Amino acid sequence: MKNFFRKVAFGLKPEQEMPSDPLTWAQKQVENVAELNWKGKYILSEKEMRKYWIRQRVEEDTILRKKFKNDPKGLKRAERQLENETGRKFWQNNEICIRHAEGVRSNYPVLAKLWYFWTNHFTISKTQSLHNFSTGAYQREFIRANMDKTFEKMALEATIAWPMIMHLDNKDNIGPNSESAKQEWRRKEKRPATLNENHARELMELHTISPKAGYTQEDVVELAKIMTGWRPKWTKKSDQGTDVRFMSDRHEPGKKYVLGKEYKSGRKSLRIAIKDLVNHPSCREFIATKLCRYLITDNPTKQMITPIIKAWEQSDGYLPEVHKAAIKVAFEYNDKYRKFQNPENWWLQTINMSGNTYAYPIPEKRIDQFELGIRVTEEIREPDRLLMDIGCHPYKSNQPNGYSDLSSDWLSTELLIRRLLYAKKAFHRYNINDQLDNNIHEKIIRTNFDNPDKILKIVSKGKSNEEKHMILFNLPEVLRA
Amino acid sequence: MKISRRDFLKGSATTLFLAGFNLPALALTSKKKNLVVIMLRGGMDGLCAVPIIGDKNFEKKRKSILIENTIKLNSDFALHPKLKGFNDCWNENTGTIVHATSIPYTQRSHFEGQNLMESGGRIPYKDKTGWVGRAMKLANLEGDGLALSLPMPLLLRGVPKNNNYFPGRGKLPREDTLELLRSVYAESSEDELLEMMNYIKKRKDEEMIGGYSSHGSRKNKNLAKKAAVYLRKASGPRVAVFEVNGFDTHAAQGGVDGTHTECLVEMDDIIKNLKDNLKETYQDTIILTVTEFGRTIKQNGGNGTEHGYGTAIFMAGGLLKKSQVYTDWPGLKKKELFDGRDLNATIDARSIYASAMSTVFDLDFNRIRKEVFWGEDLQDLSNKLFKA
Repeated sequence: MKNFFRKVAFGLKPEQEMPSDPLTWAQKQVENVAELNWKGKYILSEKEMRKYWIRQRVEEDTILRKKFKNDPKGLKRAERQLENETGRKFWQNNEICIRHAEGVRSNYPVLAKLWYFWTNHFTISKTQSLHNFSTGAYQREFIRANMDKTFEKMALEATIAWPMIMHLDNKDNIGPNSESAKQEWRRKEKRPATLNENHARELMELHTISPKAGYTQEDVVELAKIMTGWRPKWTKKSDQGTDVRFMSDRHEPGKKYVLGKEYKSGRKSLRIAIKDLVNHPSCREFIATKLCRYLITDNPTKQMITPIIKAWEQSDGYLPEVHKAAIKVAFEYNDKYRKFQNPENWWLQTINMSGNTYAYPIPEKRIDQFELGIRVTEEIREPDRLLMDIGCHPYKSNQPNGYSDLSSDWLSTELLIRRLLYAKKAFHRYNINDQLDNNIHEKIIRTNFDNPDKILKIVSKGKSNEEKHMILFNLPEVLRA
Repeated sequence: MKISRRDFLKGSATTLFLAGFNLPALALTSKKKNLVVIMLRGGMDGLCAVPIIGDKNFEKKRKSILIENTIKLNSDFALHPKLKGFNDCWNENTGTIVHATSIPYTQRSHFEGQNLMESGGRIPYKDKTGWVGRAMKLANLEGDGLALSLPMPLLLRGVPKNNNYFPGRGKLPREDTLELLRSVYAESSEDELLEMMNYIKKRKDEEMIGGYSSHGSRKNKNLAKKAAVYLRKASGPRVAVFEVNGFDTHAAQGGVDGTHTECLVEMDDIIKNLKDNLKETYQDTIILTVTEFGRTIKQNGGNGTEHGYGTAIFMAGGLLKKSQVYTDWPGLKKKELFDGRDLNATIDARSIYASAMSTVFDLDFNRIRKEVFWGEDLQDLSNKLFKA
């Protein structure tokens, strides 16, 4: 039973009392999107973050390079200063703290674990410096905030979110027969209007219906046409960082046909197309399977995914109902299946079960001491390094399909070495009293396992509390949940 | 079917092995041969790396991203001027390009394509093992794979006990602690964790990141140096796998200084550092590239290219027969293109891979074709591309 708290959340804290009705405890957490636990002063909107992104990009690429064209050392200094002023190395760390506080400090760890699932589903991968500025805010505003709405709403908002449009190049998806295509400047600057299929393809393949739906290249092209014109609004002054709008002059005129259905020309079609995609049977099957894979097993069975699909159908894709169904399935299969935890979830479980959430993520007051313009301290930079090191950085996946949910992708010599090293680091997050507390491991083990004596016997073979930590958090019982 | 002397030799070696003679005797006479695979993720543009010479149609379609000052390889093809490492191989008669080739996948999805370039199959996500892993299993090469990345790539799966190297920061726990975990994994039938722990027990602290000296040790060009050290050892791995990301240049692909070039240079640095550091072992090595697809011939409005089909494979190493551009060029006229837009593929890339593995692993080509690639219709190109 106790395994369930690690399966759908991050385990229990050493002194935490076990909830008497675990299923209800878990399901209640996903009914609404609670306020963020993080109380730091830096919680900026995605739109506000664009200002810093623009300044970094524009000054770095143009102003500084011109000004210091004969002075490489001066350029380096100026670049560093610019970086401090835009917070290029600050924001992502701040955002990771916000993200992880939800997992280990809030009263909604189940919601947090599912939030991480969705941020990976609608991945913004590491490109165009978006990870330095925008991705964290995007994940709060367009993903988390929609976790008590329908999937359709989340899909629509994620699709036309500025970081997603930038990330998947829809900025450059322009109708070859649009008004804009005929403009003189395109000929002069040799920038012909062409389709860019990238976003359309990922919208179908990764975000909604998956290749199982059997769409063709022609469907991709047609959906790309529907998406033409959705881009940051272009003004004479600036093309960078403006809100995403439908620009009719860049839209491909004429009817489009996706999966056999006709769509009219114009701005309304994208909304309708997304509605159709999320209501396609392959979409709910795809998402239900992914949820089971994330929570239960690499190879979900039909019996597992069916109740989730059903909940989706009955609620019209209302995410709290979908989540509740997934949690229930996880509950029912709790004894039978143990899912190998990805590195980020393993790390949060380690911190949470250790009971040192007073030290990780770094307390708000420490982060709030930072001011733009000064150098980011090593302490503040740690979350970013940590996630790169364990191989699972939610803003820096290499590709738009995000991280795998298959255990084989998390098994390698180096990845296991990382877990040994970071179990030790987790121990050193303790204050001195906890480090010296010789009963700390017994408390952790009795709270979190149904077979404490067996585990205790193994862990007690460690010579020091530090070693015990490394052993405990690398036991199969902890690596899997 | 014509059986060449080499095929016969390979066949008999295999038979010997199957008959139960073990390797030591063979190992003394035959040198350890190595395979290095560089995975180019995102869709490598074969026409950016190895452009065709004097095709007006091609030049017109790529006005603002055309590569200038290329290095002429032969009367038809040129090399991207930044690929100096590969050019050295070419000049030493150990560099080969196969052009207008691809894995048999035409759907243009990265993730499906990358899954297939590693699994070697035709149906995405169907196979849970990689073509290198399966061939290693066939050659009984357990514990001979090394990935230079944090996770274990699909390409190497299918044979147990692969290792990886991507150094971590810090010190490993004491031997006793590792042994304790090892025994727990053994008792709980956690076979994969057990294999990894066996490797960790052999890891030395100098193989970890400690002080300042190890700066940049996770960069591909430095990993290549390290891999060369491992591959040179007689008891070291025989297969190494690298990954280069970022070939998906839908926008700002650029010309000679563009983003596609940066990725190609990263690949080139791997080749160069392997060659320099493998030293004499370079003579017993094949380095080759894989990618999921090529890119459209025509540039798009954002000075980028879209997902295409046919592309090129780079190969280097002393086991290459000679420097050559090996191709059955399909032409770039509209009617000659795949779907009217992409360079066609006239050679199944898997024929190259099967032939290369036949050479490196001393396995009969047909066994590889049957047991690694499910009996698909692949050509044996060993005699054309590799030394016996």
